[in-house]
Amino acid sequence: MTSSTDWALYIAQMEQILGVPLDEQRRAELLVQFSRIAGMAEPLMAFPLDERVEVAGVYKA
Amino acid sequence: MTLPFLSIVELKSALIKGELSAREIAQQTLDRIEQSNPTINAWTAVTQDRMLSEADRIDRLRKEDRPLPALAAIPYAVKNLYDVAGHTTLAGASLFSDRQAAKNDSWAVRKLSESGALLSGMLNMDAYAYGFTTENSHYGATRNPHDLNRIAGGSSGGSAAAVASGLVPFSLGTDTNGSIRVPASLCGIFGLKPTFGRLARSGSQPFVASLDHIGPFARTTADLALVYDALQGRDPQDSFQAEKAIHPVHRLLEHGMEGLRCAVLGGYFQTWCDDNARAAVALAAKALDAQEEVEFPEAALARTAAFIITASEGGSAYLPELRAQPERFEPLSRERLLTGAMTPSAWYVKAQRFRYYFREQVLPLFEQFDVLIAPATPTSATLIGQETMRINDSELSIRASMGMLTQPISFLGLPVTTVPLQTPQGLPLGLQLIAAPFKEEACLRAAWALEKMGIAKAPVAKGLIK
Repeated sequence: MTSSTDWALYIAQMEQILGVPLDEQRRAELLVQFSRIAGMAEPLMAFPLDERVEVAGVYKA
Repeated sequence: MTLPFLSIVELKSALIKGELSAREIAQQTLDRIEQSNPTINAWTAVTQDRMLSEADRIDRLRKEDRPLPALAAIPYAVKNLYDVAGHTTLAGASLFSDRQAAKNDSWAVRKLSESGALLSGMLNMDAYAYGFTTENSHYGATRNPHDLNRIAGGSSGGSAAAVASGLVPFSLGTDTNGSIRVPASLCGIFGLKPTFGRLARSGSQPFVASLDHIGPFARTTADLALVYDALQGRDPQDSFQAEKAIHPVHRLLEHGMEGLRCAVLGGYFQTWCDDNARAAVALAAKALDAQEEVEFPEAALARTAAFIITASEGGSAYLPELRAQPERFEPLSRERLLTGAMTPSAWYVKAQRFRYYFREQVLPLFEQFDVLIAPATPTSATLIGQETMRINDSELSIRASMGMLTQPISFLGLPVTTVPLQTPQGLPLGLQLIAAPFKEEACLRAAWALEKMGIAKAPVAKGLIK
């Protein structure tokens, strides 16, 4: 996952998968939003965590 | 007797002495809201009949010489995402305006009602609680009572403005990423975001289950603590609530700084703010004898992880409505929510794993210190309609970044009291006093100490109420 990822293609596929038909204006705005969050996610995804670190869940059976 | 800007303790005293009846308190509050709300746009609904009826119940108790509950005849209002029986829960969204009225009060409103408080109505907020400015495109912007051209902060902006204006002594908000601490800072009042899981959330419109908190605003630390004490209790309906015994804190405030060790939170928190915020931290640090500076490792990544969890959980929750009626969404939030619903699950899981890691890195700091000091916002209130602010030589989106100093703290779930200071320009600016999990007492006692020294204060905004 790098900054060269084709987020427009990803958005087009998610539009189909989630069943959210979009027009060009909304796709353009989504691309702006997605590029921003992807840029933020990149260093988080690159940050090394020990494989045994679990999610901080609160579910209790 | 006319109603001056009394604290909860002073109002209760006036009630007991017979200087004011509960009915008089309720009626004068309603009159003032009618007069001043068009200026600040804090209330989206006024619950006049309920308030007068709750007041009459208190007056009957007085007449019969029966004991009065802790918050007897104290007026308040709640963010419009709390269920109030007989009223539609808006969560700031026109999308919800035609849904059925709530059948029951939320847990928090029920607790306050049992404590004798008088509900005056529901308050404006950012739509879905997704924002830091309360510039709501459907219900209008809430104006900062200290400067009507400026934002009140968000998402609980109506809750902060209602208290800062002097119209009610306390209110309730919620905080997912900073939505109590940001408006408390910009409106110059005290706010408490308790530990994640400390207070029951049931009966409030959820935004991000992993991060949502409820909490109060007030103009004094003592009032904040009284309301917090009234809100404590176990709610079996709330599976996110921690199994902790009730721990009343009001009676402990007078211990002040006795035995408390403070430090300044540096690094990220001193970088992403302006000189006024740094000067406010330095002033409080000197007063609280905080001589050392500590850092949270990877604080910026913690903000990112909080952002991803928020986007993903918030967006997914609204996906059915984003499909069915996208035209009814707040335009400023719709594509942000949809982006969240589309984020890869690997990002979300990494963010949740990072949360665990980050907690393990940070909690050992509380073996050395009881209270950490950081700005609540990078700067004081910006102008309504302003899009960006210049911080650390970077142009930042106000809507997204006014909470950048609060997000890493709520990600950890730590309790925070926001205390109001003043900038040399006369605008309020709040500090976060941050404590270890379930040590609300520590951050409230530090706030009380700063208030007693005259450093933290929440004067009522001038000129609004005649």
